[in-house]
Amino acid sequence: MRLADPAATLAYLSLFFGLLLVLFPVSFPRIIIANWQSARLTPLMILFTVSVNLGLYLAVAHQRSAKPGILAAACLGSLPVFLLAALNFVLQATIAHTFAGSSPNASLLVDEEILAHTYFAMIAAIFFPFLMIRLAQQFQS
Amino acid sequence: MPALHIYELTTGWAAAKWLLWILLYLSLGILVPWVLARAWTHQHQVTMQLRLKQLFQSGELGLVGLMLAISVIWDLQKSQYSSYTIALGSVFLALTGVMAGSVWIEAYCRRSSGIRFTPGRAWRDSRNLAFLVFSLAAVTEILLDRFAKVIAL
Repeated sequence: MRLADPAATLAYLSLFFGLLLVLFPVSFPRIIIANWQSARLTPLMILFTVSVNLGLYLAVAHQRSAKPGILAAACLGSLPVFLLAALNFVLQATIAHTFAGSSPNASLLVDEEILAHTYFAMIAAIFFPFLMIRLAQQFQS
Repeated sequence: MPALHIYELTTGWAAAKWLLWILLYLSLGILVPWVLARAWTHQHQVTMQLRLKQLFQSGELGLVGLMLAISVIWDLQKSQYSSYTIALGSVFLALTGVMAGSVWIEAYCRRSSGIRFTPGRAWRDSRNLAFLVFSLAAVTEILLDRFAKVIAL
């Protein structure tokens, strides 16, 4: 497994997110914030990132004619869950901190924070497990 | 979100400045070396293949990616996002930038030590990782642009 394998797919995913932000600057963030307010954002992100990770892993294994390992698959399945759950706790604290401040447009600032969090957390949850697998492979060799 | 905010977030060519800014980095990192190489071959009247793949076959695109990541981290640090968002974005950009740069380091070590070096693989790895850094930089700049507009309201 090389990091370049998932990098291209992740780059397209990131550009797609950016394109949605440019084309739908209001409705796309509104969907994300509505999902966050109804506590559906983190489970949806977990489902999405785990699916993308496993899909990428199987695609790379098929491309290289390699047998998928159970340890790597477990890592790709579990790391995004822990990472997204941990980041969600930190986001809650950040939102509380922003609302506690004296900013007149705190609500809009929080919306932008949630948007940035969603983007960075999604990309990190896909890239980080592959980075861990790559580092483990280098350590092993 | 009120109508005024919709207008503020969508209007004007100024919203595309992040794209111009990234294109400047790409032209300095990719186009200028290619033009200089062409000028050199013309000056010395040497016939050689000057494709990007040949020019950056040792993974130099990874270094361009690292340079781009550093500049976006700098922008992120100057923003008024919460310290948590700045830390998350900076760490992640730094990780991808370092991994892109490490492609060139691995290629250099392999060539220097005589261990099997595949230019095609170094090119592919550095191209994919530099593309990832580019897309991260673009979206981060879009987010920074939006945040600056909300702060200014």
